Amino acid sequence: MIVLALVAGLGVFATLAALASRAVRVQLVAGLLGLVEVVAGAAAIHVLATNRSIAGHTASLVPFTGVTIDLTPLGALFTLTTAVVALAATIHWVGYRRHAMSSVSASSAFALFVTSLLLVPAAGDVVTFLVLWEVMALSSLVLVAHDHAKRDEARQAAWWYGAMTQGGAALITLGLVVLAGHAANPGFSAIAASASHLPAATRGAVFLALFIGFGAKAGLVPAHVWLPRAHAEAPAPASALLSGAMVNLGIYGIVLARTLLGVGATWWWLVAGFFGVISALYGSLYAATSADLKRLLAYSTSDNMGLVVIGLSASGLFAARNPAASSLALVATLFLVTAHALYKSTLFLGAGSVQYATHERDLDRLGGLARTMPITTAVVVIGALAVAALPPLNGFGAEWLVVQSLVHGLTNADPVTTVTTALFVAALALTGGLTIVAFVKAVGVGFLGRARSESAERAREVPVSMRIAPAITAAACVIVGVAPGLAITAIARASDAVAPNRSGLAATLSGFHLEALRGAVDPLALALGAVAATLVVAGLRRAGGPRAGAKLRAFEPWGSGRAVTSARMQYTATSFAEPLQRVFDDVLAPQHDLDVSHALESRYYVERVAYASANDDIVERRLYRPVLALAAVLGVRARALANGSVHRYLAYGFVVLVIALVVVS
Amino acid sequence: MTTFANALGSAAVLVTVGAVVVLWRHRLRSIVAALAVQGVALAATAALLGVHEHDRGLLVVAGLVLLVKAAVIPGLLARVVAATPGARESDPLVNVPASLVVAGLLTLGAFVAARPIVALVGGPTGKLVPLGLATVLIGFFTMVARRRAMSQVVGLLLVDNGIALVAFLVTSGVPVIVELGSTLDVLFGVVVLRVLLARLSALGFSDLDQLRSLHD
Repeated sequence: MIVLALVAGLGVFATLAALASRAVRVQLVAGLLGLVEVVAGAAAIHVLATNRSIAGHTASLVPFTGVTIDLTPLGALFTLTTAVVALAATIHWVGYRRHAMSSVSASSAFALFVTSLLLVPAAGDVVTFLVLWEVMALSSLVLVAHDHAKRDEARQAAWWYGAMTQGGAALITLGLVVLAGHAANPGFSAIAASASHLPAATRGAVFLALFIGFGAKAGLVPAHVWLPRAHAEAPAPASALLSGAMVNLGIYGIVLARTLLGVGATWWWLVAGFFGVISALYGSLYAATSADLKRLLAYSTSDNMGLVVIGLSASGLFAARNPAASSLALVATLFLVTAHALYKSTLFLGAGSVQYATHERDLDRLGGLARTMPITTAVVVIGALAVAALPPLNGFGAEWLVVQSLVHGLTNADPVTTVTTALFVAALALTGGLTIVAFVKAVGVGFLGRARSESAERAREVPVSMRIAPAITAAACVIVGVAPGLAITAIARASDAVAPNRSGLAATLSGFHLEALRGAVDPLALALGAVAATLVVAGLRRAGGPRAGAKLRAFEPWGSGRAVTSARMQYTATSFAEPLQRVFDDVLAPQHDLDVSHALESRYYVERVAYASANDDIVERRLYRPVLALAAVLGVRARALANGSVHRYLAYGFVVLVIALVVVS
Repeated sequence: MTTFANALGSAAVLVTVGAVVVLWRHRLRSIVAALAVQGVALAATAALLGVHEHDRGLLVVAGLVLLVKAAVIPGLLARVVAATPGARESDPLVNVPASLVVAGLLTLGAFVAARPIVALVGGPTGKLVPLGLATVLIGFFTMVARRRAMSQVVGLLLVDNGIALVAFLVTSGVPVIVELGSTLDVLFGVVVLRVLLARLSALGFSDLDQLRSLHD
């Protein structure tokens, strides 16, 4: 309790430290924040190591209900993940400062955001939770709107994000208040004890409200539209926190809903699974076709959160008939959440470094960074391998566990579950493939080859702190991937806080072992085997090649014996994704505009060809735009109500007063 | 006891009648005069309650009400009216006979709506609470139905007087500090509105509907 009060106090102190003079502001705030992160991380590790919650209550600070703190192992897992990501983001920010984000508002919002992210999972009652949740939402909104003076996109992003997050918060508040009202107590433990007495319909409605509210925070389709905008517009440390920490808390919320309401009806998890599948496919598809590095990463976040929700849904569906698979799905899901936080923050920080060095986010204008920015490139490659779920990194372990839980969940399943699970596996497979395409494109086009623009050519490696920051999270990806033992133990304890863990999963230095379900894999051996096989093939090729001394020159196929001399002869991000975009033409419905102008003299001579293609979000175009247009039309119509006559305005008030009196009497 | 009840009843009825007179008269001078009479009646209500309850604080409040609502505010408004002698509410949005009918209906409505409060307070003071509510409603209606900016200000003051009457009757005396605060608020508001009225008439506006041209 004292530890968490210390975290909160230091966090507030760091927020106020933003008022310091410009020369020391960032160092001071970052130093204090580092302390906050270390203390919070240590508290979380303590909870996970001893398997005992940190709980406490104080009647002060908030009127009527006071503040209740209850850092369970489940919350501690999220706090610990956030602490690691936030530490990296803070270190990155110290280097980022000359570029931007050193204003008083941005520094204080950053400090407040980090502190609230660390404390949300520690909230033990509805009021504390909602207050911290709002602090988190509003401080992050300040960061998203950081560039509002210069860029219209930043203003747009802030509007979208603000509307989505407040709409979600309204639903969350509604759901939690219904529960707290029924329990006559805002404490989460009291709610969990009394929620089973609620009528089934009410419980379902509350679950739906919480799922939509938290799902919007997690970036599930169709409430994902804020994500590509906000993540792309926020400064890199902020977007790393948005994607590596805040989005997780949406998932924390859904798990919390399950903890409070119990497993509930099958249809809850079918609804959740439906949106999970849609998000996974939609996110990965747009990630694969997007040419903006940060938008690509943001869509990939949507995709990963979809996978996470698929896992949660599977855990709920299997709970009645197959507790072992249900537990495994939950553990796998939580593992995927932490893994995603680590690799996605690595990638966002790396992308931030690229943007810092080149002032570019467009992959079609990048390239050749491997030579000029080797460390950043190496870090991004590790992140990309992890997100593509390749062994021995943590993404592989997470997705392998999810697939295992799905496969083993099929035993003793009812028909609905069987069909759903099969669809889940198919979605997982397609998503995996599309993710690999997306990240081959991101690394291949963005970092390898030749520079496509002058700014990319002139790129220099970023300051030390910006190199260290993503390296921390990348190292965590490798360590958790190679030696998952500790992480799995911690996650098993966290899942125990939701439902008794019966997965029988053991993880050691040499891999994962499923004792109850008979399955095992060793990511490190797989990776070493793959490397060895590659070396053997390369060796054989060399041995089978021309004799030593003979000069071998390689040329591009169809290159007429000439080397590629121009950067414009390379694949661009758009051309790389073009075949895929063609396959999914009906889904993506990209807009092409080809404008050929002929010479006046003859139609056979072309003077100029202009081609423009736009691949904007189809959910936004087909779902949100019409609704917004309707709202705008209604707004214009409604202006007739306000014709400027003072008498009319007074009459509105008068009529309402009289009606109120009539109703009351 | 009955003398007190009768006197209190007369004073409270006079407050409501003052509001009806504001709706009835066309000349702005008469309207301001009605407001002053209403202020006197309100002060009398407070004074009667103060004597009856042996509450010295309430007597201070009565003096304050007499000073501000019967003398200062009407005086300020009278100076504005004096600037344009013979100014009339010539063309109200709702004509006078219809306004008086509406005022009657509103008073009836107030008696219906205030039944719970009457039951709660009880006694001779409780029975008079609907008059305060009726004054509020008539004041609000004055703001809706009259064109001149001056009538709007008077309507607002009627609403305030009605609220004050309800407050006196329901709580048998408001603490001096509360009444002081609200009275000063109203005084301040009237001063601001007076300046605004002077500016508006300097620009040639006196009918608020002419302000519609400012609408975008």
